[in-house]
Amino acid sequence: MDSVISLQQVGVAFHAQRRLRSAPYWALEDVSLELARGQRLGVVGRNGAGKSTLLRVLAGILQPDRGRLRRADVSCQLLSLSLGFVPHLSGRDNAVLCGLRLGLRRREIDAQLAAICDYAELGDFFEQPVTSYSNGMILRLGFAVAIQVQPDVLLLDELLAVGDAAFQQKSSLAINERIHAGTTVVLVSHDEDKIADLCDSVLWMEQGRSVLYGDCDTVLKAYRAAAR
Amino acid sequence: MRLHFFELVWFSTYAELRAERSRSYLGLAWWLVEPALMMAAFWLVFDRILGTGGPDYLPFLLVGLVVWQWFKSSIVHAGLAIWMNLALIHQVRMPVLVFPFVHLLSDALKFAFVFVLLLAVLWLAGYPPSAAWLSLPLLLACLLACAGGCGLLLAALMPLLPDLRFVIEQLLTVLMFLSGVVFSLQRVPAPYSDWLAWNPVLLLLEALRGVLLQGQWPDWAMLGRISLLAVLLAGVGLAAVQRLAPRYPKLAV
Repeated sequence: MDSVISLQQVGVAFHAQRRLRSAPYWALEDVSLELARGQRLGVVGRNGAGKSTLLRVLAGILQPDRGRLRRADVSCQLLSLSLGFVPHLSGRDNAVLCGLRLGLRRREIDAQLAAICDYAELGDFFEQPVTSYSNGMILRLGFAVAIQVQPDVLLLDELLAVGDAAFQQKSSLAINERIHAGTTVVLVSHDEDKIADLCDSVLWMEQGRSVLYGDCDTVLKAYRAAAR
Repeated sequence: MRLHFFELVWFSTYAELRAERSRSYLGLAWWLVEPALMMAAFWLVFDRILGTGGPDYLPFLLVGLVVWQWFKSSIVHAGLAIWMNLALIHQVRMPVLVFPFVHLLSDALKFAFVFVLLLAVLWLAGYPPSAAWLSLPLLLACLLACAGGCGLLLAALMPLLPDLRFVIEQLLTVLMFLSGVVFSLQRVPAPYSDWLAWNPVLLLLEALRGVLLQGQWPDWAMLGRISLLAVLLAGVGLAAVQRLAPRYPKLAV
């Protein structure tokens, strides 16, 4: 099996307070995971189980404080909608800035600018400062840029549905397309039906530890039984 | 990877300058008005009221304040850069050096614009260009490296010790008076002047004034030592940021 990321007994600690010698808090205690190319992994668990922390470790934002992490030469993207737009800049400039922050090269972004404007349905507003945008327009622009990145591993913290009904459908369609296009995906969600529908394997986490890992049916059945 | 870093720094700098221009009515003009107001204040107190200015005090003050303004802003802006962008660092994997670099670069670009005007004003005031001007790039590079080193060091520590931001302005005010921005080293009495002569910023400022106001070449041995120190300082700053970078995504915003 072609492994892209593997975690062995990984733990991540935070210091909850800004005090000298405050005890660390282990958001991830002990998680082991082998993510194969093309795998679609769902992650379930109650609030505070460490699911989002796990995604940030996979994204390379957080480095483990213990355990081993091995990553093949792959790009990972944690899909996120607002990478700090600069209020006085135009939609176009913000799209470029955001794309660069997501790791795209300038010429890649320039080539996609027309598509981004089109996808976000901004029209002439694309050249206006984003201070003149409605909330919906800002979210649409954020999504349009984020979805242009073609990462090897796509990390999703809940399925993001953005904007009005029509755009929600369009954005979830884009994500579904991406998931089925053979991209490696890790999806964190409380929606077990969505996970059963979209993923081929599931990891169940509790209090920073991996409890069970396997195919959808087995893990989700055990998870539901435990929740009762 | 490298090229991407430069593209990111360059475009972020453009965004920063652009946003700064639209945040105030006078925009660009503030880069000139601020040192001019400072100069008027110090000239009033030291020259008119206290009478301790000395000959050529106005151009002396002008050079000192314009350069100090750049030096100080670079340190403050770079120093706050990582701390202010913690929310972004939590969300996306990005080289944190980008943030202080953007501010060092945008302040340097602003300064370049102001400095050219300064040269023109000095020429009009009777201090024409001289061969010694050729040493300006080296002097300014040393100042940039010193400011960059201090700024990066502050930037590295600020997220861990946010309390630093309350003392940084005061520290810089003290450093301004220790750097002979508003008075000349020759006017300082004996034991103190020897101590002050250890301050590289003061030495660089004196050298810069020598070049601009007297057409005098800097002391090369002194400049050599300061260059070494400046490079060392910049290296320490860079290393500190790189060393502490893994800790930033774990800090509360």
